[in-house]
This record gives sequence, structure tokens and C-alpha cells, in this order.
Amino acid sequence: MTPTQSIPEINRALAEQINREARANPQSPYANKFVGIANGQVVVVADTPEELSRRLRQIEPDPKKCFAVEASRDYSIVEEIWRIV
Amino acid sequence: MPRALWPLHHGRPCIEVVLTLTASGQNMSRVLLADTGAGTVQSPFQLVLDEDDCLLCGGFSYVSVTIRGAYSGAFPMYDLPVRIPALGFDEAHRVAAVANPPAGFDGIACFNFLNRFTYGNFGDAGQFGLEA
Repeated sequence: MTPTQSIPEINRALAEQINREARANPQSPYANKFVGIANGQVVVVADTPEELSRRLRQIEPDPKKCFAVEASRDYSIVEEIWRIV
Repeated sequence: MPRALWPLHHGRPCIEVVLTLTASGQNMSRVLLADTGAGTVQSPFQLVLDEDDCLLCGGFSYVSVTIRGAYSGAFPMYDLPVRIPALGFDEAHRVAAVANPPAGFDGIACFNFLNRFTYGNFGDAGQFGLEA
């Protein structure tokens, strides 16, 4: 973390770090969990995205201060949306 | 079981969802192309919407997602509350945010959103619907 980083940047960096660690270590407490971050700190670890959404919004109502990651997901996978011809 | 039916839109299947503007509390209807060819059952997002809708309606960010096909590149992803009042459906979903939704539509309801329901024309070729 650097002094010039904004809250969204700090949140994003933490989310990416959590995902890297969860992918490298299946024993990580975050592995296969939905992790909610607010103001640069982990505040929710949930089993489902619905639970994460509900709890994170309760803890931090300002969505600009929130971030989430599905830990252990391979975000390098390219998702396909068929093109309408 | 509750069922909602919508007339085909530009000859294509669609659904209508309701978003709520954070600032005013005003509801906004959005017509989404019902597209079983959008994503898979494992995709991290269930809907595709204009990014402005995500930001104005209280979306918070997820790690971004990479898409190819109708869209190409890395796209922001948001958690966004979505309602379908006729079904009593009110849940947050993960949304891939784009600058340009499909022409004539406000976004896409992807396969793993539609697949949560029973979907189809329910015997009426001029409509598309969801049954919860």
C-alpha cells in the first residue's frame, strides 16, 4: 500500500492478493469463499455471493468503498458471449 | 408457481428487470435480451448491463472479467440488486458492465441467470417468460 492509493485501489489490490493466495494455497481461509472488502480491510467471508452481498451492504452502505472477490476463481478464464449475427 | 411473460422485443426473447436509482430511490425498468448463448453455467456474471446503470443503482465492484465474442476484452463486474416484481424476485447478482449494450436492448440476461428459472415461450410463440 502506498500513501497515494485511493480506497478503490487498495481494495482491488487486496482482493487480487487474496485470490492469488487462495489459488496457491487450498488451505487458505479464503479458499473457495466470497470475500468482501471495505475501506481496505476484509470484513466478510461468505459461502455464497448472495450472503456476501447482503452482509457487505449492511457493513458498508457506500458501494464505492466496497469490493469483492470470489477467491480461488481463475479470473484469467475468458467468458464467451456469442455474437448476434 | 409465479410466471412472468414478456412480448418478443425486435423479434428476440427478452425479460424485464427493475433496478433502483440509489440517489432518488426511483425504479428503472431494463429490457434484457434473454440469451442462452451468453456465458456458461460457471460464468461469474449473470447479467450484462450498461456500466452507468451499475454505478447509479448501487453496484459494488468485483474483480473484472475477460469476455470474448459479442464483447472483447476485460470488463468491470459489479454486484447489483435486481428485481423481477412479477416473480417476487429480489436478489443481488453479478453483472458484467459494458459501455454499449446490444442494439435495441438495455443488456443481456445470461444463461446462468435464465437457468435459475424455468424459461421459454410456455406455448405462446410471441412471448418469452420465466417461471420461478
